[in-house]
Amino acid sequence: MFSIQTFLDSFEPLLWAARYTLLVSGLGIALGLVIGALICAAGLSRWPAARRFAAIWVSFLRGVPLLVQLLLMYYLLPVIGINVPAIAAAVITVGICASAYISEIWRGAIGALPRGQAEAAVAIGMGPRDVWGRIILPQAVVMSLPALVNELILLVKASSLVSVVGILEVTRASQAQAAMTFRPLEVYIAAACIYLAINLCLAGLGRYLEHRMAV
Amino acid sequence: MVQASSVEIRKLDKFYGPFQALKGIDLTIPPGKVTCLIGPSGSGKSTLLRCMNFLEEYDAGEVRIDGQMIGYDSPGGSRMPARKLRDMRRSIGMVFQQFNLWPHMTALQNVAEGLVRVRGFSKDQAAARAAEALEKVGLSDKVANHPARLSGGQQQRVAIARAIAMEPRLMLFDEPTSALDPELVGEVLNVMKTLAAEGMTMVVVTHEMGFAAHVADQVAIMEAGELVAVDAPTRILHSPEDARIKAFLKTYHERNAF
Amino acid sequence: MDVSVLQQYAPMLLRGFGITIFCWLFGTVLGIVLGLIIALIQRYSPKPVRWLLQVYIEVIRGTPFLVQLFVLYYGGPLIGLRLDALPAGLLGLTIYGSPYFAEIFRSAFRAVPEGQIEAARAIGMTEATIIQRILLPLGLVSALPALVNFSIILTKETVILSIITVPELMYQVQRMSTETFRYVEANLVLALFFWALVEAISRVGRKLETRITKHLIERT
Repeated sequence: MFSIQTFLDSFEPLLWAARYTLLVSGLGIALGLVIGALICAAGLSRWPAARRFAAIWVSFLRGVPLLVQLLLMYYLLPVIGINVPAIAAAVITVGICASAYISEIWRGAIGALPRGQAEAAVAIGMGPRDVWGRIILPQAVVMSLPALVNELILLVKASSLVSVVGILEVTRASQAQAAMTFRPLEVYIAAACIYLAINLCLAGLGRYLEHRMAV
Repeated sequence: MVQASSVEIRKLDKFYGPFQALKGIDLTIPPGKVTCLIGPSGSGKSTLLRCMNFLEEYDAGEVRIDGQMIGYDSPGGSRMPARKLRDMRRSIGMVFQQFNLWPHMTALQNVAEGLVRVRGFSKDQAAARAAEALEKVGLSDKVANHPARLSGGQQQRVAIARAIAMEPRLMLFDEPTSALDPELVGEVLNVMKTLAAEGMTMVVVTHEMGFAAHVADQVAIMEAGELVAVDAPTRILHSPEDARIKAFLKTYHERNAF
Repeated sequence: MDVSVLQQYAPMLLRGFGITIFCWLFGTVLGIVLGLIIALIQRYSPKPVRWLLQVYIEVIRGTPFLVQLFVLYYGGPLIGLRLDALPAGLLGLTIYGSPYFAEIFRSAFRAVPEGQIEAARAIGMTEATIIQRILLPLGLVSALPALVNFSIILTKETVILSIITVPELMYQVQRMSTETFRYVEANLVLALFFWALVEAISRVGRKLETRITKHLIERT
């Protein structure tokens, strides 16, 4: 039956591996924020070609399972002459995938701003740089924070998939531990607990941000 | 006395697709005077107002501020450079129906922002000027409040302060009291009266007939994209001759007696 | 990629595709049913039960699908739950989707105006009739866009079943690519295939949505 001892013993190696779970999801969201901003800008640009590119980017990355993207990137990079460690390929893939969702989050936040906000700025003679930098973006970024935290939660869970390209994060470590102890039930439940703990913390942060915004 | 602009509007047309919102409007706004635009909703009065600072792009005709055409280089010509348009807009203040205060800034920051970004004031200069403007609208005690912590009337007064701090020579008011609870309308109208007394050129889209009757120098009545009448308020509001004006005023009197 | 290679693997790939679609439909339908049951129980049961279900929802939503599959498939036998890959995958998919569907239904039920339910109660309808005639039809209309949306997300999650050796499309493609050493091409084609599939399903979903919504609004 369920062995508490094995369950508790599993935590040490898994928590050690959690560094990589946090690294992949943390760097992934950072990269996603940067690329997502560019894609969002392209999507709102006045050049049809840029808008088209953004639309295809978003549609492709949201239509293809992350696992497929991951393997594609993992095999593709060496073929096109880019030799990076698996962890880099994983972070890049997760970041690119996240960028599609993040650009949509930002587009939504910008679209949700009342038109009058920008109009009031334009009416006193502000140029586009100030209208965006001082009026639109500060509000849109704050408004998008809860959705971004939610995206980070999704990435923490999605990072379990990078185990298939051999990165020793929580899921990969739990596979190794399960093979070693022959007690997969306890080990995998321990892994689930670690993910749950991380995500409950993040969800708490998200609720806090949402609450602060509502005031 | 403030410096006051005049506005000349000639043969102004504005289309939304096939729908013509403004039909050959001719109107002169004299300097230092208050002009009220009244008319049923959808008559094009807000559109006309928004053409005066080119927030609404007109399709034909011309709008001239102190003789300088806004939006285009010449009648039927190409768009004026964005920088030039911004320069013209900084001397035209606008107050919106929905206030459009920036919620992430305090009252003082709302007023100071344009001074820093557009007029190139230092932060301290801007803060001092903003405080003055807020004092003028009677909100010295609310400088540190965010818009969410102000009543509608207070928000609209901040919005007026934001506009007058830029030292405009023309003020456009787009239904400034329509979004307010009835008991808050008075404080906003009072601020506007003070401005009018100082000799500011003001164009006011409003449903406040009392304000139009007592403060306006001229009243322009619009219906279905056309200017029906322009005259002194006493003549227009008390002895209208045109049947359409009579009809409009009649329905108006039935709804709100003043 | 060589056409003959594709020809050789075609039956396998087709079978894989069939299993992918089967898993998706099965997981979506049962997930919706389970989610609906959870949402209804949560609406009509005392606090402890509601609280327990909320824990279930948070646990499933807070952990990766892959780890859930591992617990079920590799951990299950230790407590006597011995399942083959496919049934384990189907059960996993159902469990994984259920809390999301439950939350969709919960907020949809909340969107039904209280007055409409009170009106039904006032004319003496039983709770069962109210659920059947008022709550479900009205709730479904507002839930539909979110249901379609999450069903599309589930399409993509089916590929994770390949990791516990469910012989669906992803699994077959990986097998083909290791046997032919065409890793890039195989995964690229798979990506394009999924892109097209998801786009197609979204389009059908949107059409279905407008039709069902119209139908339900006309009927109610």
